Amino acid sequence: MNNVYIVAATRTPVGKGKGQLATIRADTLLISVLRGALAQVPTLDPEVVEDVVIGCAMPEGEQGLNIARSAALLAGLPISAGAMTLNRFCASGLSAIQMAAERIQLGQADIMIAGGVESMSRVPMMGFHPAPSPLIFENPSQLPLAWGMGATAENLAQIWNISREAQDSLSLLSHQRAVAAQDRGDFTAEITPLEGRRIIGVENDGEYQEQVLTIAHDEGPRRNTDMAALGRLKPAFHVRGSVTAGNSSQISDGASALILVSEQALVRHQLTPLARVMGFSVKGVAPEIMGLGPVKVVPPLLERHGLEQSQLDWIELNEAFAAQVLAVQKHLAFDPECLNPVGGAIALGHPLGASGAIRTTTLIHGLRRTQGRYGLVTLCVGMGQGIAGLFERL
Amino acid sequence: MKPIARVAVMGAGVMGAQLAAHLINQGIPVRLFDLPSDKGARNERTQQAIAHLSAIKPPPLVDPGRAMLIQACNIDDDLAQLADCDLVIEAIGERIDWKEALFSRIVPHMAPDTWLVSNTSGLSLTAMAKTLPEERRPLFCGLHFFNPPRYMTLVELIRTPWTDETAIPRLWEFVNSRLGKNVVFACDTPNFIANRIGVAATVFAFYHAQRLGLSCALVDELTGTRLGHPRSATYRTADVVGLDILAHVIDTTYRQAMDDPFRHCFAPNPRLQQLIANGSLGAKTGRGFYRKEGKTILQWDAEKGEYIATGETPDAKVLACLTASPPERLIRLRQLDHPQAQFLWAIHRDLFHYCAHHLSTIANFAMDVDLALRWGFGWNLGPFEVWQMSGWQTVAQAIEADRQQGVTLSDQPLPAWALNPECRGVHKPDESWSAQKETWVIPRGVPRQRIPTFLIGMGKPESVGTTIQESGAARLWTLDDEVLIFSLRTKMNTLGETALEAMDQALEQASLRGLPLVLWSPAAHFSAGGDLAGFIQTYTQHGLNGLNQAQRRFQDIIQRLRSSPVPTVAALQGFALGGGCEVALHCDRRVAHTETNMGLVEVNVGLFPGAGGLTEMARRAGCRALDDGLPLQVGDYLKADLSRILRCEVSGSAQEAKRWGWLDVGDVIVPHAGELLHVALSQARALVEASYGAPLVYPVPVAGIEGRAQVLSALINAHQGGQLSDHDLFIGRTLAQVACGGDLPAGTLVPVEYLLALEREQFGPLLATPKSRERIMSFLETGKAVRN
Repeated sequence: MNNVYIVAATRTPVGKGKGQLATIRADTLLISVLRGALAQVPTLDPEVVEDVVIGCAMPEGEQGLNIARSAALLAGLPISAGAMTLNRFCASGLSAIQMAAERIQLGQADIMIAGGVESMSRVPMMGFHPAPSPLIFENPSQLPLAWGMGATAENLAQIWNISREAQDSLSLLSHQRAVAAQDRGDFTAEITPLEGRRIIGVENDGEYQEQVLTIAHDEGPRRNTDMAALGRLKPAFHVRGSVTAGNSSQISDGASALILVSEQALVRHQLTPLARVMGFSVKGVAPEIMGLGPVKVVPPLLERHGLEQSQLDWIELNEAFAAQVLAVQKHLAFDPECLNPVGGAIALGHPLGASGAIRTTTLIHGLRRTQGRYGLVTLCVGMGQGIAGLFERL
Repeated sequence: MKPIARVAVMGAGVMGAQLAAHLINQGIPVRLFDLPSDKGARNERTQQAIAHLSAIKPPPLVDPGRAMLIQACNIDDDLAQLADCDLVIEAIGERIDWKEALFSRIVPHMAPDTWLVSNTSGLSLTAMAKTLPEERRPLFCGLHFFNPPRYMTLVELIRTPWTDETAIPRLWEFVNSRLGKNVVFACDTPNFIANRIGVAATVFAFYHAQRLGLSCALVDELTGTRLGHPRSATYRTADVVGLDILAHVIDTTYRQAMDDPFRHCFAPNPRLQQLIANGSLGAKTGRGFYRKEGKTILQWDAEKGEYIATGETPDAKVLACLTASPPERLIRLRQLDHPQAQFLWAIHRDLFHYCAHHLSTIANFAMDVDLALRWGFGWNLGPFEVWQMSGWQTVAQAIEADRQQGVTLSDQPLPAWALNPECRGVHKPDESWSAQKETWVIPRGVPRQRIPTFLIGMGKPESVGTTIQESGAARLWTLDDEVLIFSLRTKMNTLGETALEAMDQALEQASLRGLPLVLWSPAAHFSAGGDLAGFIQTYTQHGLNGLNQAQRRFQDIIQRLRSSPVPTVAALQGFALGGGCEVALHCDRRVAHTETNMGLVEVNVGLFPGAGGLTEMARRAGCRALDDGLPLQVGDYLKADLSRILRCEVSGSAQEAKRWGWLDVGDVIVPHAGELLHVALSQARALVEASYGAPLVYPVPVAGIEGRAQVLSALINAHQGGQLSDHDLFIGRTLAQVACGGDLPAGTLVPVEYLLALEREQFGPLLATPKSRERIMSFLETGKAVRN
């Protein structure tokens, strides 16, 4: 199989739901990162791009009609390049990288763009018209297919006896790490800033003020949060539960794009590899414990590549819920120092279909910054799946 | 006469901001002024007051979204915007020098025909008028609103010697019909009418409670609902009002009513002052006469200087007096040698004495005193009504006897008119006693209030119009032989078998005569719903079959509201719940008072709307989906209403019900409850004028099993999250089964009768479940819903 290299990786700053990116369409976010990724490799002529694979969890409305294709053409990619949108919920962005990588591994393509996009401000979670199959309700054992994600997190907290305090502590750590990373400027290299418009005071005479703002930072991290503030929040999913808005991932907007190439392309276009794509694993778990997905995929993936968990320098475990991360930790016990070193989705946000690509972008830049070698991205997926991807910095 | 179309409110304090909210509630453009801010935006102060509206309970706005329609202004930059306002309401701090300064700034910007009114609660309007240029004075008066202005219906209108009488109707009609308030004309005396008398009642209760050693909680037990007063009675009301505010109002009487023979009672009260000095100002500071500790409520004991437990209950002998017939009540209390009885007699005696003494100076006639206390303090009966009901002369002689013994609070004799042996009271049909003129006068009515407020002695609302049929459950009558009026008279206008039969007969009569039918009653509520006790009885005596038949009858009558050949109009106010809401939904048109609380709340008692309510929601969703060309997506159109039914949501206003679509776009919202009948009658006539024919009822697409899955998905998660009990989930499933059209695929066209049959199929078995019956029994016993 051919080696696959990542030569560019970028993302938008992430916005909070109804926040800094809310007035920007998802396709515009995607156009920005597609251009941003190409800008990182000026020697690469866009004409040679084979295909664009974009993950999106709610591909409808402004994210519908194969958003990948329209955004690719609007971003300036050639008509000859293909584009598709794929959906594996929260894993969509990583599955897009997986699919692009596998095309190159098989020798079916040399230059691929992969990424993800989601504007949860503009296309709500569950979409505009949630309509689950009536068959789900005919068989009690299938009911968890209709469970909301919060219910699965409460379920894990109960089964694994995870306290409210432990969840809030993890949440606080996530915010503290993210704020520290922002202060160090850790995210500067990976973020492609973009411009937002703000309209103020539309008057009867047609006058209004318009502000054009450069958006360059993630909006999610809370500088001033503490255990007391987190402790005051009411349970969000169960009246007597422990999962709150404060110890769950945020509703967010964002996009990310990466350029993947074969070894031949590396040479032909004089590209510098950032990382090598090693491999992926995907498996299913019961929907009611969907948060445990990573537990199923990480050990076999490491085994396949002959790696010990202790060899991992950086692990991006998507923080869907603190309860879910802690339940995974009860099984996998990642080194806490290597786990989400710059914070996770609780602080940085979780724009569903984009997150897999965003976490990978952060991982690759993080490994380069810290001169680490092996890195892992893993996510749990609604209705019960886990996904993991393994990368090596070069 | 140019109508008042735009209003400015000066002062964005508690009252000013809420007045602006109420104006926008009634669709009147309003500009709210305050001082400009030194830093930040110039209108920061006003804008903050507007933003704060959403935090006030009960909500001042009928729809929080309307806050953005209140225009924020400041008095430095925006005075030119007064030019097109037809009414300016002053609601700033209670100091005459401040008011004078404000007037001098705003008057030059006001149009010549603009009314200027002051919302002062204590200052003299005549003194205030003197600060105005002479040409301005004819269009100046007091307009005293009560807090909270959206909910308190009383407005006292206080004229000055310069007020232009010919201009009054324009203002009166605006306050009455547009703002929905009841106007009482008060004289320019300290605290006007309602506060003058209401605060006297409070002060007398304080005085006698202390004299007889009765605790706060015991006084409240005695002076609340047992006297026809609000449950908060004496001390709790003081806590809600705020002890500092109360002390201020008491002090106004003390400082300004120099010739009041009861004045000594209004001198600063050491107990009240002590609490205020401690910072115990009532509900707003968390402690006053009462303090809540966890779930326990403690009361202030002034002797001990600490909060102590409550729990004393009134004496049985005293309670027996209170439930005696009105003519015996007060006299028996007077004769009973028990501190509680002596207390009750004394507070009545002194209040009557006070009212009789002051009637000639504070009000034009007696009716205004009683109305002010009813509307401003929420008393069921005004003081003169209670006196008259208790036997005027007997009570008058008793007061006189007490006075001669020196136990009354003033040694002034009752006025001669009150002691005149001919005097039987101050109210009689169509006339009210004027102590000022020493004669009976005919109060002016409000044209659109077809049924005026009847005080004791004035007759009964039932005496108006011509009766066609009547029973204990309802009356069918007419005012003009053009429109028939159906008035329920059951408790809370519940719909039991006899009430429904009467409704059916009313429809029959209306159809036979070819006359429209208005559903209206003089009660405060349209209808609290079906007669639960009746349902249970039918089920116990006749089983599921009997229940099924009764339900079918209920359904048939409700369908007939729509299908009969004459128009039907429901006049809604207060509760329109459960079966009452189903009735309202099936009429051809609704007119609704602003304060209308619509809800299909059957889930509270373990049931679902089974008299056509679920069918109607399914029908409406089906029609809308069909209109939008989406017959397979009926579930999307249905889910909001089903969620409201499941959560037993009740609309906080008619405007909210309209936003839900439970009131149609063409339904009319009426600001004043008293005008509801008038508007309903005119709407009924309008339907007739437009060549009414019963609406065609089309088959509709159902949400089907796909729609049911959407509902179930939400239910499962709410159940999983502990928000729904197992039985709630069971009810929810049943409800979804009916409303989505059973086991049919989405989009299947069904006749309405199919959905009604589904309601019948599921309703009885649901009622028969032990948990539903437990809910019903609990509701019947305690009036509260249990979530079992």
